[in-house]
Amino acid sequence: MAERMSVLYDASKCTDCGACSVACKQWNTLPAEKTNSLQGHTDFTPRTWTFVSSRESFENKKMQWMFRKQQCMHCGDAACIKVCSTGAISRNDLGFVVIDQNKCIGDGYCVNSCPFHIPRVDESAKKSYKCNGCPDRLANGMKPACVQTCQPEALVYGDRKAILQMADDRVKALLPKYPKANVYGATSLDGLNFTYILLREPDYYGLPANPTVPVELTVWKDVFHPLGLLMVAGAFGMTLLHRVMQRGQNENHPSDKDTGSGKGDAKG
Amino acid sequence: MAGLSPAFGRGAMTNSWTDLENTKCFLFGGSNAAENHPIAMKYALRAQAKGAKIIVVDPRFTRTASKADLFAQLRPGTDIAYLGAIINYILEKKLYNVDYVTRFTNAACKVNSNYKFNEGLFSGFDEAKGTYNTDTWTYELDANGQPVKAASLEEPGTVFSLLKEHYKRYTLEVGSSISGIAPETIAQIADTMVENQPATVMYALGMTHHTTASQGIRCYSIIQLLLGNIGKAGGGINALRGEPNVQGSTDFSNLGPTLPGYIPAPSDVDTTTTIYGQKYGAAARKHLISLLKAWYGSIATEDNDYCYNYLPRMQSGKAITYIPMMEDMARGQFKLLFNIGINPMVSIPNNQVVATGLAKLETMVFMDIFESETSAFWRAPGVNPETINTEVFFLPVAYLYEKAGSMTGSGRWVQWKPAAVKPEGSCLPDLDILDIIYHKVQKLYAGSADSKDRAILDCQWDYGHEPDPEKVLMEINGYNTKTGKLINTIGEYLAAPPGDVSSGCWVYAGVFNNGVNLSKRRDNKDPSGLSIFPTWSYSWPANIRVLYNRASCDGAGQPVDSARKLIWWDEAKKQWTGPDVPDVPNRANGPDTPDGQTAFRMTAERMGRLFALRYANKPAGANMPFAVSAMCNDGPVPEFYEPIESPTGNLLHPKVATNPVARIRQVLKDKQNIGKAEDYPIVLTTYGGGTMHFCSGSVTRNLPWLVELRPENFVEIGTGLAKKLDIKTGEMVEVSSARGSMKIKAMVTDRIQPLSINGKETHTVGIAFGWGFVGLATGESVNCLTHAAIDPPAGTPEYKAQLVNIRKVK
Repeated sequence: MAERMSVLYDASKCTDCGACSVACKQWNTLPAEKTNSLQGHTDFTPRTWTFVSSRESFENKKMQWMFRKQQCMHCGDAACIKVCSTGAISRNDLGFVVIDQNKCIGDGYCVNSCPFHIPRVDESAKKSYKCNGCPDRLANGMKPACVQTCQPEALVYGDRKAILQMADDRVKALLPKYPKANVYGATSLDGLNFTYILLREPDYYGLPANPTVPVELTVWKDVFHPLGLLMVAGAFGMTLLHRVMQRGQNENHPSDKDTGSGKGDAKG
Repeated sequence: MAGLSPAFGRGAMTNSWTDLENTKCFLFGGSNAAENHPIAMKYALRAQAKGAKIIVVDPRFTRTASKADLFAQLRPGTDIAYLGAIINYILEKKLYNVDYVTRFTNAACKVNSNYKFNEGLFSGFDEAKGTYNTDTWTYELDANGQPVKAASLEEPGTVFSLLKEHYKRYTLEVGSSISGIAPETIAQIADTMVENQPATVMYALGMTHHTTASQGIRCYSIIQLLLGNIGKAGGGINALRGEPNVQGSTDFSNLGPTLPGYIPAPSDVDTTTTIYGQKYGAAARKHLISLLKAWYGSIATEDNDYCYNYLPRMQSGKAITYIPMMEDMARGQFKLLFNIGINPMVSIPNNQVVATGLAKLETMVFMDIFESETSAFWRAPGVNPETINTEVFFLPVAYLYEKAGSMTGSGRWVQWKPAAVKPEGSCLPDLDILDIIYHKVQKLYAGSADSKDRAILDCQWDYGHEPDPEKVLMEINGYNTKTGKLINTIGEYLAAPPGDVSSGCWVYAGVFNNGVNLSKRRDNKDPSGLSIFPTWSYSWPANIRVLYNRASCDGAGQPVDSARKLIWWDEAKKQWTGPDVPDVPNRANGPDTPDGQTAFRMTAERMGRLFALRYANKPAGANMPFAVSAMCNDGPVPEFYEPIESPTGNLLHPKVATNPVARIRQVLKDKQNIGKAEDYPIVLTTYGGGTMHFCSGSVTRNLPWLVELRPENFVEIGTGLAKKLDIKTGEMVEVSSARGSMKIKAMVTDRIQPLSINGKETHTVGIAFGWGFVGLATGESVNCLTHAAIDPPAGTPEYKAQLVNIRKVK
């Protein structure tokens, strides 16, 4: 097993230039889409795997304009892997979560189970899509396309341990100017392979403070699934489980609407 | 260029992108680098990560501002008001660098006693002509014709005491009342720059699109000279030039009144090179002869005055910048326009004038990648093509990456690039197209006995059967005309007598060394750790990376900043040395000689100029560098004037509210009117289209991946104003000026706050300029609103501050 890698995204350096989004589309040969906004993407689509969202606030006569690059977070403990009915989703040995399009049938469980609501299903092709961490580039000793193109050097690709150290050091340096600066994704969900340096609390960016895999998925994957209870139709089984589990479980995990990009987005 | 050369002798950005890492403080004033110069921003962010402070002053809270340690919002066009207050603050509190100011600037020089400034007018104003006679903007000279230097800076009549006198009116309160920046914030900007040195200034078109453009940049020069920041790693004034080779095109005379290498273009009264030399100096004459030798080779001889008569000459007193040219076109004075890589319908104010001009042409040849609003003017909305008689030819050209050649970056780095891919279809590189046209034209003139045709027939034009851009660069570098060999260094070029060397642009002499094209160098070693990269490409002049770097040393020639040692005097070796190439008149002349104390060798007095003055009664034929006379024709020292369209009066001198020598272009009746605040109470500023859309958008609005990121244009309206006008994001509004009106979607934002100006709440709105009716993404062009009042020294129009009104479209 190779060393686990990570991408560091430093919100204090991101200038919302959008080059990551263009580089992603270019490398993955994704077509441009019609965006119904004055300033571009506000949500994922099967053809848009990463974009930068922004939020502005005018508080105490001071202006702040915060950016966040959004893409699959590549969770260490990934709900989508657990829930996928065909086993199409897996984590590669660098730590990135990839969808095998040959196996994917577009059932959409990954979409609904994702704590960050990232994947999108192309309904006509019956396939689910999201950022795959550019495995073809990484296998050839290159950086992910978005990292390669990032001019403000807000994105860094490297060994996960080194990335976490870098993130901690950077946050320490940022604290005098941004008292709420924090490292996001170091430990939750067994560590996210996209580590964020945020300048305000996660909620400000529309991120769950403590992202979790819904408990029912844990049960589904780790208990029922291995027992071969696949004769329960996926959708039916999931719905049932969801209801059962919801009763006893705390309400801490975020719902879809909390994790979208729209929240507080200044992009008209 | 017109703002920097009067201060330092050269118009170029003083430092480089990589050098930005050395700074401890940035003043971004008139630059939104994060959106329009993202590579510059990379180095700024690196410096910030090492502790540098970023100050951003802008009419909007931009993406650059989002990274700032200190942000100040100002009213468009009032930079000189707050910068003047900073100058006053530095002088009053004695925050200036006395040693630097005394050693390297003209602070102690005595000014002509007839120089006056009163109620907004400098001495010498000719009201009838609307121009200045600059005879009093001169030095008091001694018996040797040199400026008299006072023993003390404070002596009456010195540049320094006049500077103090001039700016004492600019209190923090006055600066604040005019600009809208709080007085304490202006003080904080000054303190931050003083406490974090070296400090650098970053500006772009936000500074230059005003009727006080050059003078605003002069303010930067004064501040940086007072603080001793010029000539230092991490210091300087960085004019951010654009991706399309703007520095390179400026070096090659994109400014009408110059020839390549910044030598003056001759006018009709300069009938011989001798007369030219008497007027502009012997050095300029030599460079002109070198240029003629490059163009006409052995045909240019002393006997025929080096083919000087082949050069076209400007009409005396006639402005030849782009805007007046468009107006002449609208008057029907042109038959043919070669339009290469420019989209005037979107970028030259205003589009009604441009459209009128294009329609009066017989022929337009359009060279570009995509069709643009200019090539398609005949089918613009509301135009009936049948009424247009102009015949338009479209020559599709190769894109940037499809052709080889050199590009000169903002920091004067001449960088060679090979073609990455072949052009598509029948597209050709510009050089190939021009080569074909030249040879065809030459054939058409073949056998002509008319002497005026010699300019074409005698031209030395041989770049190969398939034209080789490297041969062009060789011509630019220049040859020893006796040996026929390439010149190796600028020193060799300068030492040769006139006519013994050729050069297509003398500042590039030395880009070849021993036949090696130095612009191809890609060795990124940085032995000093100061981001100098001396063996990466070639930086004109002489591979100097930080201009005026002699000013980084003390009187003994030793670096004042031990962490940033660019050059020093090596007493043992008896020469100037260091990781950068020393910018000194003679490397062997030490600190005990006048040469060794000279940091600004390109001005006649060899000093940095706080006041931009010239020698009175310059002896005829005196051998002075030509740049000596680079002056601002609207004042020796910056003064605040309101924009031509302003929402308020001039607090400093109500009777002279606007720049008295600014040219307000009004050629076409009813199409260039100037509006009043009663009718148009809102300030409009314009700017680039972010990282997504570049310049007029003629390329980027055709690229799907960029279009999806910025699919349409919008007007940015502050939350308060929007509430007042009942406008919400996404709604259609009409923006109108005295010239025209446009419909555009609104974006309501806190990024623009109302300001208190001279006691009155004043609103600003902003619109990106690069839009039109052609391409994948279209939208009405703000160029229907703009006017063409122009900066007297530079000829740039006042795009950044105009008056409009806004209403919701129901």
